[in-house]
Amino acid sequence: MFRTPTIAIVDDDEAVRTATASLVRSLGYAAQTYACAQDFLRAAPATSPDCLITDVQMPGMTGIELQERLRQEGRTLPVIVVTAFASDALHRRALASGACAFLEKPVGGDLMEHSLQVALAEGGRRQGAAVTGGA
Amino acid sequence: MRPEITTGAGPRVAALAIALAVFLFDVLSPIEGAVAVLYVVVVLIAARAFSRRGVVLTAVGCLALTATAYLISHGPNETGAPLLRCLVSLAATGIATALALRHKADAAILAEQARLLDLTHDAVFVRDAREVITFWNPAAEALYGWSAAEAVGCVAHDLLRTRFPAEKGAILAELHRTGRWEGTLVQHVSTGGTITLESRWALQRDAAGAPLAVLETNTDVTERERTHARLVASERRYRSIFDNTQVSILQQDWSAVQAELDRLRADGVADLAARAADPAFAARARRRVALVDVNAATLRMLRATDRESLIGPLADLLPETDQSFPKALAALASGARTFEGEAQMRARDGTLVPVLFGIRFPADPAELDAVLVHALDITDRKAAEAAQLTLQADLAHAARVATMGELTATMAHEINQPLAAVVTNGEAALRWLKRPVPDLGEVTDALGRAVANGKRAAEIVARIRGFLKKAPPRRESLDLPEMIAEAAQLLDRELARQAVSLVTEAGPDLPRVRGDRVQLQQVVVNLMVNGIQAMAATSGRARVLTLRSTWQDDGQVRVDVTDTGDGIAPEARERIFQPFYTTKADGMGMGLAICRSTVEAHGGRLWISEAGPGAAFHMLLPVDGEDVP
Repeated sequence: MFRTPTIAIVDDDEAVRTATASLVRSLGYAAQTYACAQDFLRAAPATSPDCLITDVQMPGMTGIELQERLRQEGRTLPVIVVTAFASDALHRRALASGACAFLEKPVGGDLMEHSLQVALAEGGRRQGAAVTGGA
Repeated sequence: MRPEITTGAGPRVAALAIALAVFLFDVLSPIEGAVAVLYVVVVLIAARAFSRRGVVLTAVGCLALTATAYLISHGPNETGAPLLRCLVSLAATGIATALALRHKADAAILAEQARLLDLTHDAVFVRDAREVITFWNPAAEALYGWSAAEAVGCVAHDLLRTRFPAEKGAILAELHRTGRWEGTLVQHVSTGGTITLESRWALQRDAAGAPLAVLETNTDVTERERTHARLVASERRYRSIFDNTQVSILQQDWSAVQAELDRLRADGVADLAARAADPAFAARARRRVALVDVNAATLRMLRATDRESLIGPLADLLPETDQSFPKALAALASGARTFEGEAQMRARDGTLVPVLFGIRFPADPAELDAVLVHALDITDRKAAEAAQLTLQADLAHAARVATMGELTATMAHEINQPLAAVVTNGEAALRWLKRPVPDLGEVTDALGRAVANGKRAAEIVARIRGFLKKAPPRRESLDLPEMIAEAAQLLDRELARQAVSLVTEAGPDLPRVRGDRVQLQQVVVNLMVNGIQAMAATSGRARVLTLRSTWQDDGQVRVDVTDTGDGIAPEARERIFQPFYTTKADGMGMGLAICRSTVEAHGGRLWISEAGPGAAFHMLLPVDGEDVP
């Protein structure tokens, strides 16, 4: 059975959000876009994306906080964190709460493609483990 | 003293009555005797009652009566015993009259002398061989409080409880040997208090040479002694302050300089203060003001072991770069009584000690040989000031860096978003094209968004530039010389440390300029520091930093900052205003670039030229006025 993976994109900047969605779709995935973390949290249970690409600096809730929130809720969704202001501290914090990748804007097409493949594979493994664990 | 012998009518009547009685007795009595001798009594009474003239008249009268009585009783032809008796009587009356007149004259002289004793302000008394007071003048009454009646008859030094300056025996021995003694006594007055007296004793001897009496003349010197004691105490207090105060006191002799100023004044020099502050005059005067005395605090401050090593011309004490002395000279020349300032004094070990000093010029020019200068070592204060300045500079720098950092972060975020969108859209377009079946619709959309975001980035850049332009400096009315003086004050220590002489000149009628005080002061400080540093390696010529402010014909104010360093190579002259260009190991290279942009933001100009040896920076600033925007 083959299903097109769905990638959720959270970014407060409309231009970046649209461009990222176009790139994701050009790579053969389906894309969902959200302007803020809250919008995603409200919609995600129903849409159940396979991977999340989130910006860090956003009003309301940052991408890091969003990722930590998902982890607390026990969600295994793989996350790619993207930021215009990379710092070692931010990098460590993102990885500590389980990010698959920590990328600096602007993100090259090849890097994004590779990161998505890694993330989706990781997501598949986690889901398997969760299913096994649940059985 | 004994009063002049004057009497009322009583003696006159008595004299007249006796004369009449004698006359009648002489004429009428059958007794053959020298009755007329009794006229002597009349003369003696007259001597007491009448003036000299009265006595003479009385005597003549008596002689006439004697002769008349003789003629009545015996007739003109009578000779023999009656005539003899008459002649004896006449002689007796004559002799008595002569003696009476002589006595009267002596008594008058004595009375005159006695009155002189009464008139003198000195207390005079006479004591006999047993020291009993026999005479006591009114001044003694006034001084001691005992009347003559009370004092006469008392033993003098028991009454006065005299304290002698030496053993009494020795004093008396000297008195008897020389006839005189002088010394200072302490005696008591009637109210019990003590007084100090300068005493002069004179010994009177009798005909055989035995001591008869002593005339003691005393002058009250209590107040004089007290004043003297106060002066001594005051001097001692002054000396104590001088020696023990923590404030350095330097006694200087300015009389030679004052003499020179007086000569100039006599020559008709109009602006004496300006002449006094003239460098040539000041340089000469530095050698003519002499340090005469210093206190212990000065020795400590200047790290000297003895006073003598510091005594000498002021020029030895003040470094060549001293700016305070000409001002002090000008103050003296203009008649000021005091002058205060800051200076540096050369300690014995060669270090320069920053001091705050105050000079008090005496009101009497004759006392200019003892001018007192108080000085306070302000090394600690200066160090604290320097530390504070460094701290302020560090803080200002940190604040600038922080502001820059903030600005950079904002700029980066603002520009990075559209750039990210451009790149991502480009990547997307490439991938849409590379698909087995290129989706040209998606490609067109992605490229369109890339272009739009590129434009957005350009707009942001333009906006930031606009924002930077819109931060105008404050415009306030500034007194340029005052601002330069403040800047110079900040660099006081740096100037002294690098042995740089600062010359500030302001042209006449210099108008106020318009600008941001802090920013322009930073520019001035920056240019001065530049000049000082440019001369750091200079040797063989004086290090002079000159700040000259002039009002130009075109209405702008021009400030020239000139140093006597090695100058700047022609090819480097424009580059030094570029950011990040520096010749200093620890420099950031932003100084002159920021200076130029600051001055230009004020509507002025900043440029550089060669100045003999050394460099000159020139700054044009707009004048404060209604017509200037």
